[in-house]
Amino acid sequence: MSVAQTVRVGSETVEYRVRGQGPPLVYLHGGLADSEWHAALDLWAERFTVHQPLLPGFGASTGGERMESIEDLVFHTLDWLDATGLSGEGIVLVGASLGGWLAAEVAVRYPRIAHRLCLVAAAGLWLDENPPAELFGNDPPHLAELLFADQTHPLAAIMHAVTDISQLPEEVILRQFRAMEALARVAWNPYFHDPKLEPRLSRIRAKTTVVWGEADRFFPLAYGRRYAERIPGASLVVVPEAGHMVILERPAAVAAAI
Amino acid sequence: MEFYFFHLMPWPHLPESYQGPAWIRCPNELYDPERGVAVYNRYIDELVYAEKLGFDGVCVNEHHANAYGNMPSPNLIGAILARQTRSCKIAIVGNALPLYNPPLRVAEEFAMIDVISGGRLIAGMVVGGGPEYYSNGINPAEARERFYEAHDLIVQAWTRPGPFVFNGKHYKLRYVNPWPRPLQKPHPPIWIPGAGSLETMEFVARRRYAYMGIPYFHRRVFQRNFDFFREACEREGYTAKPAQMGWLCPIYVSESDAQARREFEPHFWYFAKRLLPGIETSPPGYTTARSAVKLVTARNDFLLFVENWQQVVEGRYAIVGSPETVFEQMSEMIESLGVGNILTLLQIGTLPAELTRRNMELFAGEVMPRLRAWERARASNAA
Repeated sequence: MSVAQTVRVGSETVEYRVRGQGPPLVYLHGGLADSEWHAALDLWAERFTVHQPLLPGFGASTGGERMESIEDLVFHTLDWLDATGLSGEGIVLVGASLGGWLAAEVAVRYPRIAHRLCLVAAAGLWLDENPPAELFGNDPPHLAELLFADQTHPLAAIMHAVTDISQLPEEVILRQFRAMEALARVAWNPYFHDPKLEPRLSRIRAKTTVVWGEADRFFPLAYGRRYAERIPGASLVVVPEAGHMVILERPAAVAAAI
Repeated sequence: MEFYFFHLMPWPHLPESYQGPAWIRCPNELYDPERGVAVYNRYIDELVYAEKLGFDGVCVNEHHANAYGNMPSPNLIGAILARQTRSCKIAIVGNALPLYNPPLRVAEEFAMIDVISGGRLIAGMVVGGGPEYYSNGINPAEARERFYEAHDLIVQAWTRPGPFVFNGKHYKLRYVNPWPRPLQKPHPPIWIPGAGSLETMEFVARRRYAYMGIPYFHRRVFQRNFDFFREACEREGYTAKPAQMGWLCPIYVSESDAQARREFEPHFWYFAKRLLPGIETSPPGYTTARSAVKLVTARNDFLLFVENWQQVVEGRYAIVGSPETVFEQMSEMIESLGVGNILTLLQIGTLPAELTRRNMELFAGEVMPRLRAWERARASNAA
């Protein structure tokens, strides 16, 4: 198991988990289900010391209401890296979905903070011809269809079983609402992207791998292609039979990308 | 006690073939401007007619991108009413403040209507419905914060000599100096509609404004909310006046109970089953997570989830019957809720012009005078 720790960052508390041995790998999670420890992190922990901070508003991490833009999350992440002594080491930086967007935003501002970058089904861009799907206001069964290629995945199955959210335990609903609120604060409008990110991607110096589920219905594969085109020297790994939650659906394929 | 005639201006022509939600994604090809000419003008006539029948005021409100209420700008209708009525109050309940940027626009337009109408405006201010945040792109997680800041800006714009600097978090203006200023002093009365959010009620109590309960809930929800509001006023050190509380309810009067139900019921279900779906959309952060949970668990007390007429009657989702029945049920509700502003919804759904007019006439002729007399008797008994 990973070890859960907390650290004070400014006036906030950040919960983070650490496991494994080797050079540091920082994993920035997305807004949905990958804030739990998951199999891909275990695979990386065989080769890296994996650090998984929980974004503000998730788990015991506080300050969600103060994160009003991706810029706020960038500075928060930098402060956490400083507080844990990781900022000087040249890390492997991995992010999925919202976390992928955040990783890209950190990397364009501070190209030397990571020597290796991995963006998994990252938000952050907008393609007029292929706008991302609507996340907000969807009930769990529709979300499952949006996020998973395989509707029999255990998490997708759980989401399909929720036909009436008022039947869930109050603390589960509350946790879900808080997470969605934290997401909306950063990503309602502009919707899950920063118009200034794409022209800045050429600043990235880390060796970059972009990993995408071939059947991603939230951010279709065209987004992965665009990231790979714009980041100098980046390679694209397309994982077949996987959706937006590629990191949960095909952990071995994603972990092997680094 | 004051009586208001409330109009939602619903779209009555949704085709049978469309059974989707009436909000956000209801295709606007279903709006037919050719038919809209008659619809708008008929509804405005009904509002104007209310004054002739003796209502104390008329009410309009703001909704966007939907078939439920075709008033994206209630201020336009309010401006027409300022000219087409002579003495009744014009309650615009309200403008969705976070949707205006800068919300100084609200201060200006409300002041215009107040001056043109000779001081008859009631200035309603709302956070706006959940669906509006999809249709207007404003971040729902900022809704409350923007609402309170916009409210401060508007009230200051009406009461502080301009120009002055307003340096808020969301609104930064170096020259706040609106022309015209409102006629009523210190400013038009402010009404705040709410669906039971505790912080909204506490805000209204603190400012001594009037709270208007958003309808379509079971009567026990109204009761709980108005009781909470009264307690909030007590905590502020005063006793709430009935004029600080408004109750909005669909009402239909006809010769007998059976005839009333027969005439009204299909039009009411068009409203409940065709126009309401989608109104319950609550985007993330729009209310505190705790309030959102409360709403989720209270959904069985919301008209959208009501299935049969017996539930409608029992929960007082609408008051329907002979003048005698309507008087009895209304007086009982008014006494129980302790409200002083009676907001009547006498047109709803597809209720056609002729039945609407008769409903208005029967209500104004047979029910309103009895309620006023009952109220006077109650007041003199209390004295």
